[in-house]
Amino acid sequence: MKDGKATQEERKAQRFLCLLCLLCSCPLFAQDGATRADWPHYGGTQFAWRYSTLDQINTSNVKNLAPAWMFQTGEYTDGLQSTPIVVDGVMYLSTARNQVFALDAATGKVIWNYKYTPRANYAKAGSQGVFVQNRGVAVGGGKVFMGTIDSHLVAIDQNTGRELWKVAVDDSRQCGCNILSAPLVVKDKVIIGENGGDGAFRGYLTAFYIKTGRLAWRFYVIPAPGEPGSETWKGESWKYGGGAPWMTGSYDPDLDLVYWGTGNAASDFYDGDRVVSEKDDPKGVNLHTASVVALEADSGKLRWAHQEIPDDEWDFDSAYEVILIDREVNGRMRKLLVHMNKSGLTFVLDRVTGQFVKAFTVPEVQTWISGITEDGKLIGRQSPGVGKPVTICPTVMGAKSWNQMAYSPRTGYIYTPTIETCSDVTANRQEPREGIFFAGGGGARRLPPGRETFSHIDAFDPMTGKRVWSFPYKYGLLASMLSTAGDLVFTGDPEGNFFALNARTGDKLWSFQTGAGHRGSAVTYSVNGRQYIATPTGWQQSITGGMLSSLFPGIGETWRVGSTLVVFALPEAIR
Amino acid sequence: MKELATKSTKGTKALCLVCLLCLLWLISPSVSVAQNLPDILNRGEEVFSQSCTGYCHAVKGAGGGAAPRLAARGFDQAYINNIVTRGVPDTVMQGFAVTLSRTDFTAVVAYVASLNGITNPSITAPALGLGAAAVPDRPVPAEAASGRDLFYDATRSFGRCSTCHEVNGLGIPVAGPIVKAPANVQELRGLTTPLVSTVLMNGESMPALVISKGTRSIIFYDLTTPPPVLVTAEPSAVKISDGSPWRHASVMASYKDAELESILGFLKAALTAR
Repeated sequence: MKDGKATQEERKAQRFLCLLCLLCSCPLFAQDGATRADWPHYGGTQFAWRYSTLDQINTSNVKNLAPAWMFQTGEYTDGLQSTPIVVDGVMYLSTARNQVFALDAATGKVIWNYKYTPRANYAKAGSQGVFVQNRGVAVGGGKVFMGTIDSHLVAIDQNTGRELWKVAVDDSRQCGCNILSAPLVVKDKVIIGENGGDGAFRGYLTAFYIKTGRLAWRFYVIPAPGEPGSETWKGESWKYGGGAPWMTGSYDPDLDLVYWGTGNAASDFYDGDRVVSEKDDPKGVNLHTASVVALEADSGKLRWAHQEIPDDEWDFDSAYEVILIDREVNGRMRKLLVHMNKSGLTFVLDRVTGQFVKAFTVPEVQTWISGITEDGKLIGRQSPGVGKPVTICPTVMGAKSWNQMAYSPRTGYIYTPTIETCSDVTANRQEPREGIFFAGGGGARRLPPGRETFSHIDAFDPMTGKRVWSFPYKYGLLASMLSTAGDLVFTGDPEGNFFALNARTGDKLWSFQTGAGHRGSAVTYSVNGRQYIATPTGWQQSITGGMLSSLFPGIGETWRVGSTLVVFALPEAIR
Repeated sequence: MKELATKSTKGTKALCLVCLLCLLWLISPSVSVAQNLPDILNRGEEVFSQSCTGYCHAVKGAGGGAAPRLAARGFDQAYINNIVTRGVPDTVMQGFAVTLSRTDFTAVVAYVASLNGITNPSITAPALGLGAAAVPDRPVPAEAASGRDLFYDATRSFGRCSTCHEVNGLGIPVAGPIVKAPANVQELRGLTTPLVSTVLMNGESMPALVISKGTRSIIFYDLTTPPPVLVTAEPSAVKISDGSPWRHASVMASYKDAELESILGFLKAALTAR
């Protein structure tokens, strides 16, 4: 330093110190499930937090939030449930009937439009395949990937919108299945789930190589005869036992494991033809339905599985999002996952081993069980009887539907929308017919008595299972949650309101009437330093949306369909 | 001879009568079913519970599902028949005329009619073809049923025949229609595939079934591994040459000879029925 310049040794020491700092900070980044300028994956990142570090819009200025641009897809009858993907200032938005629009994310200007043409007569009457919808695309390797209503996976050129390859994941005319969920890009592969597990169908995940479209692997949720777990199925029932992983999973690059939730066993309500052991057999029943599975990303090989609902008799899929977080347990940092199934039971597991850590329940009205043990086993099961209705709360609509919860690392809370419904369910024996609805019973849904509100957004601390705050809503909330570093939580309601809550208190800070009901997933991103909040709008008067509408006669019919993306930002003068 | 002639005439008359009755049954728009109505309604309820409750019309069409209530709506039978036949455009309600057997179709129409207070429903045959919202799962002779099940066998994943072949409206039509079934398993195993070419793309050579060669794009199925991948490429990016070492036998590994025998039986029956 004699001459004011560092000696070679000193420079070496500085470099070493920098390297050390970098190495020390690596674990922090490795655990980071937050998005920044982009919204690159369905759940934000592959950790599925639906959380962004963007804080230009925050609790102090959200009151000024105003529409920046809107985009109408033109498919106004089917609703818009998509999660827009944003990469480098371009938004990729899919529609219910499998169009993809590439839009300038700052203006909404169309860059290209891809229109998928499904195969003629693709839908099998009497199957789940008749329902159209799409919940988002995946982007990777210069391509945009979309699952289709006729069970294909397509790869589109990210720059031009031209189709590059297409592969039939299944024959929708036979399986009665279709693809509504967003794919997940993992390294050199794209992984896609399949919908159809309420029909006579055997669920699976399939991975294809991004570059070629060739098959990489397929994982069947239900093991074939001779494979471990097959002994939990009676006779030939494994062929039609459901378990479809019909939503989008997560990925941990450090562990190189893919996590996915699996659907309910079928027939849904009648278990007499599929169960060989006690309903609460600790080894599991009808494996690996109603479970979280961890698969090796390269091979699709099962590393571990954790069944949440052995012998699911209530159509309580566990197919929902898997949130990957690292938190302290008994003084030790652990790699965990948080996962809620349709019943509202929420599990915290060690994502390295699948070991149980904690479970808690979110809905306020719960009759299907009387409770859970400390290690997450069901107590006091209420099984639907043959010819004897049993009151089951929540219902097949779910305490939460497929719409995703969010997590904030700033508060440590999960934010989840819950609906409170009941149903008098009767089980009926049913012969399976491939691809055809295989419910094995059912019952009309109704509202639980003695309540004035039937939905709520809750903040839960997943490590304690305690509810921190609750925001009540009169009807039902069926849109995903978005959380941001501005300490805001965004979602929308069926009446058309899109609103922001304070992430720490649950206080409503802002609301905007968008004109149509919310059943999609809002995202946030920034272009040229300006933060945007984008929300799909457009109610769907079928499946769960239709079921909810029918519970509020005279009101539910007024929840408007549509298919418009509404994008908000702070006015230029304010930010 | 006279006696014989008389017998013959009587026989002819009887035959004509039977034919006439059959013809009447076939063309009659309405058949009385009063004598076995309870059985038909029971079957109708069974079909309804399998195909119509699910997410949609709820048990006994009572409402509370995602689709409209069907019970006590004052529907007349012509309306019910029409909707079940054709479906409702722009909704998830599909026509069932070609997916349900005649017996099940008539039963479910009668059942929905009964939910609307029609105590003595007539059974109207579906107007075939009008409600073609899905593909018929055409019946095959009993002896061909096992071959049919093997052909479409979902437990074989992408190793089943229907990964590449469409027969009777089911399966993925990668290959062209099967117009002639191989005579026996040996012939099937030795099947040549002169239409399979070799495509060179991105420095990689692959067996391919070329679908179209346009000035803007070349479309082909990459047959490297099942399922085939439909690739669209710029003409300058690919080089196509005739012939390929690919063999049809390489994608039949999941089937044993006896199973292939059954599949050939199914194909022959399906081709004969056309």
